[in-house]
Formats: sequence, structure tokens, C-alpha cells
Amino acid sequence: MSVALPTSVDEVVDLLVRNPSATLLAGGTDLMVEVNLHGRRPTDVVALNRVAELRTWSVDSSRRTVTIGSGVPYAEMETGELARLLPALAEAARTVGSPQIRAAGTLGGNLGTCSPAGDGLPVLAALEASIDVVGPNGSRQVHFADFMVGVKRNSLRPSEFVRSVTFPLNDGWQGYAKVGTRNAMVIATASVCLVRTNDHVAVALGAVGPTIIRANGAEAWLAANHRMSSPPSNDTLAEFGRLVREASRPIDDHRSTAAYRRHAVGVLAQRLLTRSYS
Amino acid sequence: MSLVGAKVLRKEDPRLLSGTGTYVDDLSPAQCAFASFVTSAEAHATIDAIDVRAALAIPGVLAVYTAADFTDYPDLPGGLPTLERPALARNTVRFVGEPVAVVVAEDRYIAADAVAAVTVSYSPLKVMTTIEDATAGDSVPLFPRHGSNVITIVPTMDDLEKELAKCHGRASLHIVNQRCAAVPIEPMAVLADWKPDGLTVWATFQAPHHLRNYLATWLDIPQMNCRVVAPDVGGGFGSKIVWYPELFIAPVISKLLRRPVKFAQTRTEAMMQMAHGRDQVHDIEVGYEKDGTIKALRLIVSQNLGAYGDPTGLGLAVLTTWMAAGAYRIPKVSTSFRTVVTNTTPVAAYRGAGRPEAAYSIERIVDQVARQTGLDPAVVRQRNFIPPSAFPYETHNEAVVYDSADFPAALAECLRIVDYDAVRAEQKARRNDPSKPLLGIGLSCWLEIAGFGPNGSLEGFGHLASWESAQVRIQPDGSAIVYSGSSPHGQGHETMLSQIASDELGISFDRIKVITGDTAAVLQGIGTMGSRGAPTAGSAVKVASSRVLTRAKRIAAHLLEAAEEDLEVVDDAFNVKGSPGKKVSWGDVAWASFQPLRIPPELQAGSLEERLFQESPNFSYPSGAYACVVEIDRETGDVTIRDMVLVDDCGTVINPLLAEGQVHGGVAQGIAQALYEGVSYDSSTGQPVTANLLDYLVPSAADLPDYKVGRTTTLCPNNPLGAKGIGESGSVGAPPAVINAIVDALSEFGVDHIDMPATPEKIWKAMKSGGNS
Ligand SMILES: Cc1cc2nc3c(=O)[nH]c(=O)nc-3n(C[C@H](O)[C@H](O)[C@H](O)COP(=O)(O)OP(=O)(O)OC[C@H]3O[C@@H](n4cnc5c(N)ncnc54)[C@H](O)[C@@H]3O)c2cc1C
Repeated sequence: MSVALPTSVDEVVDLLVRNPSATLLAGGTDLMVEVNLHGRRPTDVVALNRVAELRTWSVDSSRRTVTIGSGVPYAEMETGELARLLPALAEAARTVGSPQIRAAGTLGGNLGTCSPAGDGLPVLAALEASIDVVGPNGSRQVHFADFMVGVKRNSLRPSEFVRSVTFPLNDGWQGYAKVGTRNAMVIATASVCLVRTNDHVAVALGAVGPTIIRANGAEAWLAANHRMSSPPSNDTLAEFGRLVREASRPIDDHRSTAAYRRHAVGVLAQRLLTRSYS
Repeated sequence: MSLVGAKVLRKEDPRLLSGTGTYVDDLSPAQCAFASFVTSAEAHATIDAIDVRAALAIPGVLAVYTAADFTDYPDLPGGLPTLERPALARNTVRFVGEPVAVVVAEDRYIAADAVAAVTVSYSPLKVMTTIEDATAGDSVPLFPRHGSNVITIVPTMDDLEKELAKCHGRASLHIVNQRCAAVPIEPMAVLADWKPDGLTVWATFQAPHHLRNYLATWLDIPQMNCRVVAPDVGGGFGSKIVWYPELFIAPVISKLLRRPVKFAQTRTEAMMQMAHGRDQVHDIEVGYEKDGTIKALRLIVSQNLGAYGDPTGLGLAVLTTWMAAGAYRIPKVSTSFRTVVTNTTPVAAYRGAGRPEAAYSIERIVDQVARQTGLDPAVVRQRNFIPPSAFPYETHNEAVVYDSADFPAALAECLRIVDYDAVRAEQKARRNDPSKPLLGIGLSCWLEIAGFGPNGSLEGFGHLASWESAQVRIQPDGSAIVYSGSSPHGQGHETMLSQIASDELGISFDRIKVITGDTAAVLQGIGTMGSRGAPTAGSAVKVASSRVLTRAKRIAAHLLEAAEEDLEVVDDAFNVKGSPGKKVSWGDVAWASFQPLRIPPELQAGSLEERLFQESPNFSYPSGAYACVVEIDRETGDVTIRDMVLVDDCGTVINPLLAEGQVHGGVAQGIAQALYEGVSYDSSTGQPVTANLLDYLVPSAADLPDYKVGRTTTLCPNNPLGAKGIGESGSVGAPPAVINAIVDALSEFGVDHIDMPATPEKIWKAMKSGGNS
């Protein structure tokens, strides 16, 4: 096994062009589980932790965006300026694994793995983040909706990787909530990110389908039937919850039944909507 | 000032907390090879062929062995006739994870690769993971020579149908006490070094002498040439007194290869290979009068043994039936049980071992009586308690005579701390307020059997005897070494035994060293299990120390030319009472004790040394009253423990810090069983689905409440310390408190019972279906 230690984005691209089957290593919190438990045997590894550019983030005040390098660990999103700018991302980051995992795990890795239970992903979906993908032909911006294409499948082409994620900043309310089988170190059995602006509520559902699901029906119904300036009535909440549940496409597995996942995702969405007014 | 009873900080912690402890896997003698096991991927199958060629071809692989290489060795110890377990599976595999072959390599990474290169072909047999499946009409016997999957049946003489029928009312529950994994932080590890002059085995084990006794016999070598060392041991909870094949195979490999050989499990291996606990199914029924007094109790137990009958596993249901009536005076008690083998990991002792199962069922059924009579659960308990005046109390089983307790006092203290009436009032108010979570309060007035020390009590589980040994040796400088046969794995024996010895000897705590866990240093010993450390090992050290002091006083009196009766021991010195300044230090007495010219003529040099085997006339019966207050999210079923009150009675408390630590840990495991943990298998394939810590939900600190601790004390009359043991209390007492609280909270939905673990999903379903799930 070879391990390359590039220090720049260009070097990473070069390495991936020369060997499109090379395996990227960021925090290793998914990859090493694959290696240690699931028999994955990478032959060539490209380690990203020395690429300084990937480990930084910046605000573009004219465009009103925040761009977070794919190698920034969750620990940096949990508190401080990033948490103030992107509270939903901070909430999601705080639910990831344990302090050790959050010190190592990254958004790039979450996107690389593209698990429907990945805690970063509903936030990207609800905020309509765009992903800066770099490859042999330069860079391209991919909407999250076009990035995740299935269970653990993304639309990266050979020799491409994620450089950063750009989130639009807005003045609205945003929050993230997750249900799992215990309070820490747990994979979501259902998760929701909700973003409310003046005229719209965006709702993204995690762990209840093959990809992150935008509850379009619920969003449209709220936009048409709910005055955004005031808290929802019980009837509104009930219908909203119903539509969110309807949007979900969960499965049964040993962690949870589909029925409970569907129920839970509705409850989480209702609670986030209520919370957005408190 | 007495150290027994004082909050003394743990002696062992600086070592254990700074990473300077020594666990088996920290040891790496020169030339050490590494073993790794090829384990069965099938739950039940015959082995057609094992192809090791590819593994042997890997550079760095030293050998691969299968059952064919072990034909000179007997089956593992402790198996029942027709139920024998070979060290490596021979012809048949009976659970996923059962060792089939062993690979030895230069290091663990090569060994892992080589394990993957061994191909085993199987012909699958019918898989049965539950008692129901293993006893169904179409079941096939795991052991054809035995003919049935039911291994033992202990029927009842009288099913009490008449008594039950005479009662005002009957309450019954079908209760599943789910399978749990012990999950010690250190999985199994063993290092064997076979030298021409003898074998040394370092093993993470709770009872090194026990292992020495059986290992030497199995290997057919004299015990004098078989040294077993349990260095620092990272938890056990019962899972480290089991005859794992690895322990027996490692020495043989070392002999064959003439190199030290080490094996250290991964967590996933541990989850499949270390013995599990619990896994009982109960049918419990009681008959009661209008006032809630219980007149008759019938308990029918089925024990899932897993794939082989572990000696302890076979005895778990015995302990359960012994403790069936708990803290209550029930005139008629009838118990019966059967044990059944299945295609799952073998079941053995797990913290509490048979008693949590008993406490859980009796405490659940008492709540059910309260439910059916409309009485408060606290009142039903009070009306049925064995009164303090009734001790020693003879139970339905002649082996079980409760030593001492004050159940009413413990419950009163518990109700006071939790502010019972206020919680009940709050609960009532909330019934009509859907904006607040549901509130429930659960009680558990539990009792367990501990202090495994009476002659015969451990022999039944295959141990040499039931005493515990102590040796106290004064060094020439007046410091002391205490040797104990009870080998710890985190409990704090070094601290506890030093406190006891210090009090008895008058030697300061810091000048006492405790040595355990090495058969070459500690002459004989039994081990640490069954909450026996304080009652047996502690008492042994107390008695041995006091005998040493008697002789030391004689020497001191001789040196001071004073009368023994006039001496007192203060600050490491012998003073003549009333004559300030007339004294001799412990160091001087110790020094003189080795000089024949300076000691009284009736003593010999080296007399400040005592070795004894402490026997006990009876078990001890720790008890307590716990209360749990839960809030349940009405929409998600999520449970939050708002309050957990723990009133323990362990007799003499040697060190409140250690006692609380034991209770906290045990309660964590008890809450874990109630809310989170459960080993499960795919019932059609027998594949474990919880063989890692992602799916096996060991709780973290974020899941556990702060505990409120209280205490009542009734001394144990059966040992010189008056101690009852507290190692298992929490895991016995907590599960019924938590589940009673949950069922209480859900009572408005008509829910009578919910099986553990009470996951949010189960609770949500129960709320939806009114308990008819
Ligand atoms: C104990 C534990 C608990 C966990 N808990 C959670 C949790 O609560 N929530 C959660 O969402 N996840 C959890 N995870 C999973 C994991 O931590 C996250 O998915 C994390 O975001 C992965 O990031 P990483 O940097 O460690 O990725 P790595 O493991 O380094 O990489 C993961 C995958 O992404 C690829 N990759 C890495 N960087 C890039 C890039 N820049 N461009 C393209 N592909 C890339 C890698 O090749 C690999 O295939 C947990 C993992 C563990 C071990």
C-alpha cells in the first residue's frame, strides 16, 4: 500500500489523475472502519490532512456565503463564528459521534461516504449548499441535490474530489434534530434540518430514504397555507407533519422499523417548526 | 481512627489512570508470536473441510492448527457428559464465532490476513437461536448424543394451583430477561510461555488459581509447573471466569513452537466469543388477597444456555429460583426451571448472575398486584415485607437463609429522598397536561444472594473450594505485604484490603502493599465473583492481620518489658498506655521479630506472618430500595431518567467511595439493560446483529442520570467484617426500578408490561396500541 501526502489541491488532482482508483483519506473515521471491519483493502491512499487549503473556511460578505473546506473537522463547526453563521450545521456537528470523532471527521468525508444517515447532509440539502468539486478539468459547482444520487453513492467522476462546500447565509431560522438509539455515539434513525426564511420553509430528511429527501410537498403546502410571520396552529402542524411523513421513504432494519422512522421524522419536523418561532 | 468506613482514595488509580498499568496485551516477551482464530461463520453446520494451504503460504505465518492437531487433549473442562466442547470445533459448529482453527504468525496483522486466507466449507444444519425454536417440534438436537436441546429440568413438586385459586386475585406476567453482553473494557487476552522448566500464562481472568488448577490438569502437567498471572484486568463482570478455548490452546501452541504466544481479542470477536449473560424467560404468577398480601408465588424459568453448557450458565437458574420471593414473606413458593441449548454464544455469569432475573420478576409482579388491587406499589411492598424481626429468615429453599435486613427502613429512606408523595402529585397533575412529558415512578425493593463463601457454594460451579485466602507478612522494616486469593479486575482490592489490614495491624495505609493475581506469589486462592471480595477476602485479611498483631504485641511487650495488655498501637508504634514516651516502633518490632535473640522464647524468627483460609457459615444478602423517576416523550417514546435514588444495605461499608463506585457502575449496567442493551441474532441464520458497539448500545455518560445515594445498615452476622458485598447490587436493583417507572408512566394507556430494553420505539408502539402489541 502506498500513502501519498500532498500539500496542495493541485497535487491531489495530479495524484488522482495518475491513479483514479486511489483512495482519499480525510479524518479516516469512515475509511478506517471500512478497512478494519469490512475488509476494504486500499492499495493507494491519498491523505488530505496536509492540504492546508482544505482545512480553512471563509466568509464572502458580498455574496453572503460561507465556504468551508472539505477537511475542516466538525469540532470547528460546533462553536464560535461558524456556529453563529450556520447554527443548523453546528447542531448537526454536535450530534456526530464523540469528541474524538468530531476532532477528526470532516464534511468531505461525510460527502465521500454519502450515507443517508450522515448528519451533515440534511443541512447541506436544506440550505441548498453547493459543492466545489475539483478534477482534471478544473472545478465545477454541484448542487447537493445533484451530488447525492443513492445510498452511499455520489456523482463524483473519476479523479474528482470535494474541495469545499459553500452555504448561502440567510437571516432566517435554521435548526437540526436527530433521533437515535442513544444520546451519543449514534447513527441517526431519523433526522431533520429545517430552515425558515420570510417566505419559505425548507425541510430536509435524513435516514428515511436512499438519499436525503427534501419534503417538497410539505414545503409547498406551508408556503401556500401558512402565514410565515406567526407560529403554526395545531392544525397546521398536524398537516405539516403528515406531509413530511408522507415524503419519507424509510426501511426496516435492526436499528428501527420503517413505521417508527416515518413517525419520528414527522415529530422532529413539527418540533423544529415550532422551535423556529420560539 | 478507623480507616474502615473512611473515604480513602484508591491506591491503584495513579497506575491505572496514568496508563502505567500492565494488561496482558502490554506484555511482549522476545520472540512472541501472535495467534488469531478462524471462527465459524455458520451458526449450526457440519465442517466438511478446512483448507489452510493459502494461509500457510503467507510469509510470516508459523503454523495453522485445527481440531485434528488437538486429538491428544481432552475436551474443555466443565462440560456435561454428551455436551462436551472441544477446544477447537470438531465436525460440528454450534454458534457464529466458535473457534474452528488457529493461525500463528509473527505479528497480529499477518495473523489476521492468514485467518482470512483459511477456507472452511460447511454443510448447514437447522439454526435455532431461541428457546422456542430449540424446543419446537421440528427442532434438531445440537448434541445428537444428548438427544434433546433441553439439558436440565428441575420440576416443581407442587404447582400451587390450589393455593392460587383460593386467593382473592391472581396476577401473572410473561417476562423476557434479554441476553446481555458483559463488555469489559478489556476483551479476552492470553499470553503463554512454555519453557522446559514450566509454563507461565498471563491471562485477563477473574480467578487465576482456578485457571491454574484446570489448565494444569488439561495439559497433564503438575500444578507446580503451571503459573498463571492475572495482571491488571480491565473488567470482567463474570465473563472472565469461563473456560474459553483460547486459554487452553495458547499454552499448547507455545509448547509446539517453543515461543511465547499471545492472543488478544478484537471487540467484535469479544462480542461473539465472550460469554453472554441473562437470557431467561419467566412465567410468574402470584395469588393475593384484597389488601395486597401475596399468598402464593409460582415462577417457571427457562434458561437459554447458548451453544454449550457452561458450568456457571447451568447454575444461573438455580440462583434465580432461590431468590424468587425477594424481600417478601410469601407463604407458598413454587419454582421450576429448564435449561436449553441454542445456536448462540454460550451464556454464563454476568454481573448479578441469576439474581437480577429473580429481582426483576418479583419486583414487576408486585407492581402488577398494586395495579390490580388499586393499591400504591409502596404500600403493597410494605404489606408483604419480611419484618426486621424475622431474621435469620428461612426461605422456600433450605439453602437460602437471609442473614439480616430492614426492608421497611430502606424503603422509607428511599421514599423520603425521592419525595415520593410529591412525585405522585406531580404525576397526577400531568395526566391532564399533554404539553408535558409523561411521568412515572418505579420502585425496586431488591435483595440478592452474595458473599459466595459457604462450603459447597462455589464447588458446585467447579471451583476448588469456597473459602478465600489471605496471607499477611510483615517485612523487617515494619511495612506489610498482604496477599489475597481474590484477584481484582477494577474493584479496588488494593485499597480495600489495605484499609482493613491497616486498622487491624496499626500500620499506616501507605505502608501496606496488596499482592494478588499471581499463583507463584499467592499460594492459593479462589477468585473475585459473586460479590465475595469484602465478605470473604476482606474478612480473611482482617483475621490474619489480627493474629499477626497479637504476636507483634508479644514481641513489643518483650522489648519494652511491659505487659501485652498495657500496649496500644498508634501511628505505627506500640505505646505503653499511660506512660508517654515508652514506646517501640512497628519497624523496631518487625526488625526484632527476625532476630532470635530479641524475641520471647516461645516465638520463632519470622512469626509475624499469618496465612489463612477464611470460610463462611452462610451467604450474605445485600439488599436495597431503589426509586426511578422517568419522563417519557409522548410523541417519540423517548425515556429520560429524571431521578434515580439508590438506598443500599451492604452491611459494613469499608470505603464509601468504593461502595458508591460499585453501585454507580452496577446501576449503569442495570439502566443499560432496562433501556438500551440486548444481544440479538437473526433468527433464521443465527448471525449476530449486535456484535459491535454501534449496534450493542452500551450507554455513555450522556445517557445516564446523576444518582442520589442513601444507605441503611444491617450487619452481616456471618463474617467478622459484617460486610455483605456490593459488587452486583446496582445491576440487580436498577432494571425493575426503571421498568416499573416506565410501566407506571404508561399506565394510562393500559400498558401492563414492557420488555427490556424499553426502546423509544417499543414505548411508542405500546402507547399506540394500549399495551396490546
Ligand atoms: C465512532 C464513530 C461515530 C460516528 N458517528 C457519526 C455520526 O454521529 N454522524 C455521522 O454523520 N457520521 C458519523 N460517523 C461517520 C464519520 O465520522 C463521518 O461520516 C465523517 O464525516 C467522515 O469524515 P472523515 O473525514 O473521517 O472521512 P474519511 O473516513 O477520511 O473518508 C470517508 C470517505 O470519504 C472519502 N473522502 C474523504 N474526503 C473526501 C473529499 N474531500 N472528497 C471526496 N471524497 C472524500 C474517502 O475516500 C472515504 O471514502 C461516525 C464514525 C465513527 C467511527
